[in-house]
Parts: sequence; structure tokens; C-alpha cells
Amino acid sequence: MPTARPRAGLTLAALACLILVAGCERPVGCTGEYCGTIVIASGGEPDILLPPVSEFAITRDVTDQLFLKLADLGLSGNTIGDEDFQPQLAERWEWDAPTTLVFHLDPRARWQDGQAVTAADVAFTYDAYTDTLVNSSFRSSLRQIAAVTTRDSLTVVFRFRQRYPEMFYDAVYHLRILPAHLLREVPRDQWRSTAFGRAPVGDGPYRFVAWKAGESIELAADSTFFLGRPHLRRVIWRFTSDQQVAVTQLLAGDADAVEVLITPDNVQRACADPKIACYPYKGSAYGYVGFNLAAPGDTTRPHPLFGDRDLRRALVMATDRERLLRNVFGDLAKVPPGPVSQLWWIWDPEIRELPYDSGQAARLLTRTGWTDSDGDGIRDKDGRPLAFRLLLPTTSAIRRQYARLLQEQFRTAGVDVQLDEVDFSLFNERARAGRFDAIINTWNTDPTPSSGFPQTWTPAGFGRSNYGRYDNPEVDRLVDRAVTSAASRDQARRAWRAAVETLNRDAPGIFLFATSNVSAIHNRIIDVTIRPDSWLALLRTWRIPADRLTDRDRVER
Amino acid sequence: MVAWLVRRLAASIAIVFAVVTITFFVVHFAHGTPCGTADRPLPPEVCRQLCRRFGCDKPLWVQYVKYLTALAHGDLGESFGLHRPVADALADAIPNTFTLALAALLVDFALGLALGIYQAVRAGRFGDVAVGNVALLVNSMPVFWLGLVLLLVFGQWLRWFPVGGPNNPVLCPHVDSPYCLLDFLWHLTLPALTLGLVGAAATARYQRAAMLDVIRQDYVWTARAKGLRERRVLLVHALRNALLPIITLFGLAFPFLFTGAVLIETVFAWPGMGRLAVNAILQRDYPVVTGAALLTSAMVVLGNLIADALYAVADPRIRVRGGGGSA
Repeated sequence: MPTARPRAGLTLAALACLILVAGCERPVGCTGEYCGTIVIASGGEPDILLPPVSEFAITRDVTDQLFLKLADLGLSGNTIGDEDFQPQLAERWEWDAPTTLVFHLDPRARWQDGQAVTAADVAFTYDAYTDTLVNSSFRSSLRQIAAVTTRDSLTVVFRFRQRYPEMFYDAVYHLRILPAHLLREVPRDQWRSTAFGRAPVGDGPYRFVAWKAGESIELAADSTFFLGRPHLRRVIWRFTSDQQVAVTQLLAGDADAVEVLITPDNVQRACADPKIACYPYKGSAYGYVGFNLAAPGDTTRPHPLFGDRDLRRALVMATDRERLLRNVFGDLAKVPPGPVSQLWWIWDPEIRELPYDSGQAARLLTRTGWTDSDGDGIRDKDGRPLAFRLLLPTTSAIRRQYARLLQEQFRTAGVDVQLDEVDFSLFNERARAGRFDAIINTWNTDPTPSSGFPQTWTPAGFGRSNYGRYDNPEVDRLVDRAVTSAASRDQARRAWRAAVETLNRDAPGIFLFATSNVSAIHNRIIDVTIRPDSWLALLRTWRIPADRLTDRDRVER
Repeated sequence: MVAWLVRRLAASIAIVFAVVTITFFVVHFAHGTPCGTADRPLPPEVCRQLCRRFGCDKPLWVQYVKYLTALAHGDLGESFGLHRPVADALADAIPNTFTLALAALLVDFALGLALGIYQAVRAGRFGDVAVGNVALLVNSMPVFWLGLVLLLVFGQWLRWFPVGGPNNPVLCPHVDSPYCLLDFLWHLTLPALTLGLVGAAATARYQRAAMLDVIRQDYVWTARAKGLRERRVLLVHALRNALLPIITLFGLAFPFLFTGAVLIETVFAWPGMGRLAVNAILQRDYPVVTGAALLTSAMVVLGNLIADALYAVADPRIRVRGGGGSA
């Protein structure tokens, strides 16, 4: 046994060396203003880096650095008119006629393979986005655009079917301009698997470097970018499947940024760290209990319970939404004044809604014949208990938490709620087919209510997103006025407000939460501005001062 | 021996075929479609078009026949969620899972054998009891929980090891230098330790029992009586026979490592087959789920075949019986 101890010592020494050598970073190279590296820990991974065929938020984050729009939304989030939009690929634009919009492209714009960006690229992009073979999910957002044509190599003309307040938004917000010379030969029905989507060539502030499936995507700053050289020279997304791991990577210094901390616990952990700066911003999601107004599985008949407006109103008034929200979200959400996300410019706490009033709720239930005749704690009418099933997906911890709290709250109001917790795809299938009594659902929204609201709360969404088949012609009329004919933002706002208030009176759902987001970013990174609809939209203006560079920022490969 | 091998191979193929078939139908009955992810389903018209393309609008048996036909040509299909061939996605993930599994196997058996021998030699004494209790504790821990604890302690608090991922994406996106090889091993340490430790706890218990059986046998006393050093008696004479049950355990370790890897790869953001399969299951991406099941079952069957072969190598009696059977 005489050699055992030295061997063990050697092993330990080797292990120590391994940790020491591997743990050290090599401080070399870059100095000055343009050396920063940001590592973003992300809970998801893009499916493909080709904007028309992906709906993932993480894809949008990456491709927004690679592909430019003609113009982009300003910080105000105003989607009406064109005054708050910022030029990107188009250096200017004008209205030739009420329904004709002319963009003049910036002659300095170049694809990263050296080719000039031309009007033909814009026309090609519109054609691709609206092609049924590509079948982009943004196609419906472009339905009001009749044609996109080129006038010369740098001038492109958009013609609309009619005049409406968000024409400009529709023309620019969804279209990331694509290189026609690289994609024209790819058959449209193969876009979802084209090699270009895994190694794209763009015209944005960053160029694609590498994508290691399941691990990371790396972009490098285009130092010749015509709108100004990005300060951070390298952007790396690290992918995890778990949000907790992403936050731990941030706290351990293995990452520099996390988009959303999601839970109050994560916010507390991250924001208490002196190296981390937290940036709150408006969230794009809202959640609600939706009542099925039609009989489950038979849309021709009203629901035996929720066909009754008074019963729905009583249930809304019996729900203490503020208390539920504090329990689940803490300060990370607000009670919405209707089916409205905080991101929408129509958000207004002054919108009238049904109050929390358990006494009035009880009186209304009694007045409509729902009493506890047998003393079992559950109200009944004509021998039938006031009971329903609440559908929710097992994948959402927040909705499960809400469901239990609601179950308890309704129980005290004499209403028996049973939970149907199902797998998400089954949840989706049952929701679309209307096979439920009530549902806890969440919607992620665009910056404007014009697309999402009609799809979810008017007959336009029957068989799609209007799961509960809510239908009030007065709401439809007000929405139509807001979307198509409002002459100004104020007029549109008034129409939207009237629509939401009318909907609130009908109580097609209990609007539970509208999320707030908090991003966490290493505090060596400054000039951080977050645009709520797309947190990395202004990434190229973020920077790390020369005196705060770390080895990670300076290292050359 | 040849006949035995042919029989085993045929049985193995049948097992893999059964796993693929069951997985195919289970996943299809679980509403697998190319219609987007859980949180962002695609619009119905897009979904219908994709369904036509992927054939999910056809009767299930037609899909099954098409799948088997493609499989016979080495085509595992195309992933709904990743928009790329399943074979490519698996080819990216397999090396990572193999590396993790092999490293974990190393930890599992090196540590497990050493501890088992140590316990057997000191049976009933403090060292045996202490190691046994610790092994029991570790063995009863859920592997993902142990992973999270190690991540928190050694990653976030002590910062001895990185928190997830197979490499430092800034310094070493590829293993193309000795430095980056070390970086890779540094990243591998925590996930391999987590997976290996839980396995080692079980291996130690098996090894202790096997060793205790052997060291009481006459031939071991004979070896000692011949004046051999205790170390040689234990490691050369006793261990070879005590390894037989451990070889069986080696065959069983494959499924454990693959199923354990599913959780560990998620916790440590390790881009292997486990994480690929978990994401595919969540997205109902059934071509990937079926492909992963096919590959995993093939690995497990192969592991068992190797274990059987090793068994024959380690125990001549089995070889003789096997040879007799085939003669």
C-alpha cells in the first residue's frame, strides 16, 4: 500500500489543475467601445431562422437582429398612423393616395453577402408571406394589402384594399425583408426546412455565425451596418429547457441576460444580486376564465348554465380577482379591465367593469333561482346543483394555481367547480371544439388589439380563438369602427373602450391577470432600452463601456 | 455460439420493432400533429397544410406502413418542431448523450466497485455502515433533485463548475484545442457526477453483497493460505467472480443512464437525446419521439447483448453451456 497516498494526491492535483485550467478565461485582444459580448440564457430555442415560417418569440428575437423591417414600431407603442414609426430599411415614405404607400429604401442597405437590398426584395418578401404554399401565420395580418410593386430599384409601392388606421403598421410590422437572390430558387413548400433557415444571410445589425442545435446561436456585429455599428460585437443565446436553470446561469455569471424572470421568487433572487440590473416592462399576455356560451359539443344550443347572462355576471362579481392575483403573481401582473394586455395602448384602468361584490353576487344568484335548498353548501335550481367543470392544461403552473384558488372561492359562493386538467394538445382540441363548460386560457398578444381582439371576442373567431362563442353585435360594431374607420387615435381609443365595456357587461369571462415582465441584465451593460413588444428590438444600442469590459468581452477566438 | 447470437439478434430486433410500434401508436393516439407548440398553436389553415405534407390526414395504419417503409430505407422522417430530418437531429444529440452516459458509467462503476469492495472488506464495521447509509441516501434521491442541488452548490454558490451547457459558448464553441477539451470536461463533470453518483450507490450495494459471497469461499482461503498478499487475493482472485452480478448490472445500467439522462440533460442544459426527446414529447413531435425511442431501445438491447457477452467472458461455465447449446 505504500504508493496509494501519492497516487491519490496526484489524482487530486490533476483534478485541481483541470478545474484551474478550465475555469480560467484567457484575457486577450479587444479594447474600446465595440468589444462587448452578451450571453442570453433562453428557455426556448428557435425552430428555424426564417421569419415567415416561425411563430416562436425566440425566433423573432434572433431574426430581428438579422433581418430589417421597412420601419419599426417606436417606443410609444402607437400602432395608429405612421408618425411614431422609426425608419429602418426605408429611409423615408409618403402617401401617394389614401390607400397607396410609397417606401424609399436606404441606398446604403446591403445583404451580408455584399448584394444591395432592393425594392425587388420587398416585393418578393410580400409575395412569400402571402403565398399559400409558405402559409405564413402572418398571412392574415396582410390581407388588407392588395399589392406590392416596385417603381424602381429603391422604391416600392404598397396598395391597400381600403383606408384604415393601422395601414402602416400592417405594411411594416410583420414583414422582415428577405433576400430574393438567395431564396427565389427554393421551392415555397420547402421553406420550412430550407438550409437557409439554419444559416441565414441577413441585412441587419448582426450577421449569423453559428447554430449548435440544443446549445447556442451566435451572431456577430456587422461593423459596416448602415444604421450604425452595434456596440456589442457578439450576441450568444444559450438554450436551456428550464427557466430556473436560465436564472441560475445568470446568477452564476455564466450568462448576462434573461428575458423574463416570470416568478416573484426569481425576481427576488435576481434583483437582489448587485451585479444584476432589473428592467420591468409591460407584458403581452392576459389570462381569463372563459365561459362557454354554447352547449358543449353543440353550438346551436345555449349552454345550460352560461347561456344565462345573470349567472355569468354573478360569478364575475363573486371573484376577488385582486386577491387571487396577489396570491399567484405578487406584483408581477395587474388585474386587467377586460380582455386586454398591458402592451395594448387601449389599456385603461378607468374602463368600467363589474366590481367584486360577493353580496350582490349572492343576491343575483338567489334572484335567478339558485338557492341552497338542501343545505349542502351548493346552490341548486329545479333539483340541479350549480356545478360546472373548469378546463385547464397541466402544463401551466399558473393556471393550475388559479384553478384551485377559484375552486375554493366559488365554493364559498355555493358553486361547485370540478377541474379538468388535461394535456395541452387535448386542452387545445377541446377548446377549439367547444367541449368544455369553462376554461382558463391565456393569450399572448400583438402590440395592437386590432388583430387579436376580433379573433377572440367576435364571431370572426368562431371555430378558431373565440372558444366560448361570445357574440354581441354591438361589440362587433364598435370593434369594426375602432379597426376600420376611426380617424384618430383618440377616436379609436373611445371605440375600443366602448367595446370592452359592453363586453364586460355581458361577462363572457372573468379577466384574471395581465402580465408584467421583468428582464434581468448584467449591470456592466448600459444604455439598455427595452421595447415591450420585442425586448431585444433596440439591442444594437446597448453597450458596455470600455472600463467595464470583462475577459469574456475582450477575448478573441 | 453462432446460433445463440443469431437468436439473440432476432429477439433484439423484435424488441426494437415492438418498442417502435408501441411508441408510434401511443404518440399518435396522444394527438401528435405538426400544429405548433403547446403555447403557440399554429392557425388551423397552416395546420391543415402541414398535416397534408406530413401525412397525418391519412388513416393511422397508412401512416404506420409509410413510416415502416421509410424506416426500412433508413429515413426516420422529418421533425415537425425542428424543421429538419429526425436523423440529423439525433445525429447532433447522440454524441453528447453517449459522452455523458460513458462518463456517468465510469463514475458509476469505478466508484461503485471501489466502495463495494471497501464495504465488503470492512463488513459490519463503521466504514461499511457509514458508506452503506450514505449510499442508501444517495440512491433514494431523485436524480433531477440531486442535479439541482449540485448545480446550486457547485455552480451558483461555490462557482467551481459551470451551470449547464456542454461548453463555454464564448471561449470554446467547438472542441478544437486542448484548452477547449478541458473546458468540455469541466462542463461534463457535474452532470456525469450526478448521474454516476446515483448509479454508484446501487452498484456499491450489489458489489458489497457479491464480494461478501466470494471472499468466504474456499478458493479465497486457499489463496490466502498460499501466502498471497491480501490485495492480490481480493483484486485478482475474489473480484473476478464477484464481478458476475455486476456485469448484469452493467446491462441494466444502460436503460437507467438513458432515462436518467432525460432529466439530467434538462437540468444541466445538456444537448443530448434526453432533452431532445423531452422537448419532442412536449411538442407532440412524434417523428422525433419515435426516432428517439427506436434509438434508445436499440442502445438498451445492445447494452444487454454486451453484458451477456461479457458474462460469457467472465464466467467460463456460461461459455461452455452456451457453446454446448449451439453445438
